[in-house]
Amino acid sequence: MGLLSDIYNTVAKFFRPQEEQGDASKSVATNRLKLVLMQDRTNLTPKILEQMRGELIDLLSRYVELDKELLELNFEQEGDQVALMLSIPVIRAKDEDEIEAALKAEAEKLEAKLENLSAEDSVNSEESQECENSDENTEVSETSESENNGMSAPEGMNTNKSQEEIGSECHSEV
Amino acid sequence: MAGRVIVITSGKGGVGKTTTSANIGTALAKAGYKVVLIDTDLGLRNLDLLLGLENRIVYTIVDVIEERCKLKQALVKDKKNPNLSLLAAAQTRDKSAVNADQLKEICDTLKEENDFVLIDCPAGIEQGFQNAVAGATEAIVVTTPEMSAIRDADRIIGLLEAKEEIKSYKLLLNRVRPNLIKSNDMMSVDDVVEILSCPLIGIIPEDTGIITSTNKGEPIVNDEDALAGKAYRNVAQRILGEEVPFLDLDEPKGFMAKIKNAFAKLKAKV
Repeated sequence: MGLLSDIYNTVAKFFRPQEEQGDASKSVATNRLKLVLMQDRTNLTPKILEQMRGELIDLLSRYVELDKELLELNFEQEGDQVALMLSIPVIRAKDEDEIEAALKAEAEKLEAKLENLSAEDSVNSEESQECENSDENTEVSETSESENNGMSAPEGMNTNKSQEEIGSECHSEV
Repeated sequence: MAGRVIVITSGKGGVGKTTTSANIGTALAKAGYKVVLIDTDLGLRNLDLLLGLENRIVYTIVDVIEERCKLKQALVKDKKNPNLSLLAAAQTRDKSAVNADQLKEICDTLKEENDFVLIDCPAGIEQGFQNAVAGATEAIVVTTPEMSAIRDADRIIGLLEAKEEIKSYKLLLNRVRPNLIKSNDMMSVDDVVEILSCPLIGIIPEDTGIITSTNKGEPIVNDEDALAGKAYRNVAQRILGEEVPFLDLDEPKGFMAKIKNAFAKLKAKV
């Protein structure tokens, strides 16, 4: 029986129109190749792409609720130009309060980070250096303040506060 | 007279650079042009074999560079065509025996007395490649419709683009198998051209005649009936600036193919 069905399949395949036949191993190859060439041409490793994807999700989810699993970040070629295409499935837009809360949370995260940094500095380095370092940190928070100013008032105040704190820490230690 | 210097390159090995060099060189010489072929694959020379000149080589390119002979003495004339000569690679030396400036100087000298200087480039993107492209102003990138060959060709195209001296580069798609393309198991010519976005200079079908012609040491362009030979003659004409349509490889050939086609049409009607 096995032999008969083999023969039948071979004969049936022979008379089938060709377009129906190929299980399109060619299109698999084309797609794999396109992707790998994009990466070759841009020197972006899959690791960096993944990081980029993660950061974009963080940024966008402050403003919209999105389907993280379905978010696609791909290279596409249009003529000679390579474009980075981002497809974001939006579940719903966040309202103003939510956005504000998200920004606030973000600012708090940043603040915590800064504090960590200055704490590490005070442990690791000598006193004179330490003061310089915290000065640098103050600058960082200043810029983040001016960036965030337009978005929400409470956050700007938060940053100010952290700036004062860092400044006072520095002075007291000196 | 200043001839054209064309490098034949690919990145990946085994896609047909040397076969292409031998055939285009022979076709151009048959068309009445003076051609010199340079084999720059030091240590792995093969162009002499494809031309059937392996027993005639006395001096190599390294002998010229190290001044053991004059450039003219190292040029081996083809058996059939006095327009064609070969500057062979040294078999016992490696790529470091030559540098880019030396090769450029040789190309500059040769192009004074020849219409075409064709350089057979070694595989890879290292020193051997850099040497081979140094004297060239045009390039032919040979690839096959396979992923690895196309990827390597893309790298090569990137490197060629960065070279100011290379004014134009064209793609030669080798070992195309129309029946596999038809059954969707091989990338089509259009697919490859789109992916590499590089102008096409030739499509060479897979041809078992290439094997027998290599066995005999006679380029397939000398065989008037072979399809691959015709395809290579067309490439030579395109190099000379003529507009020649690409061979139609889709035409079903042979008795079985015709029956098959007839049945497919019948079935479509029913």
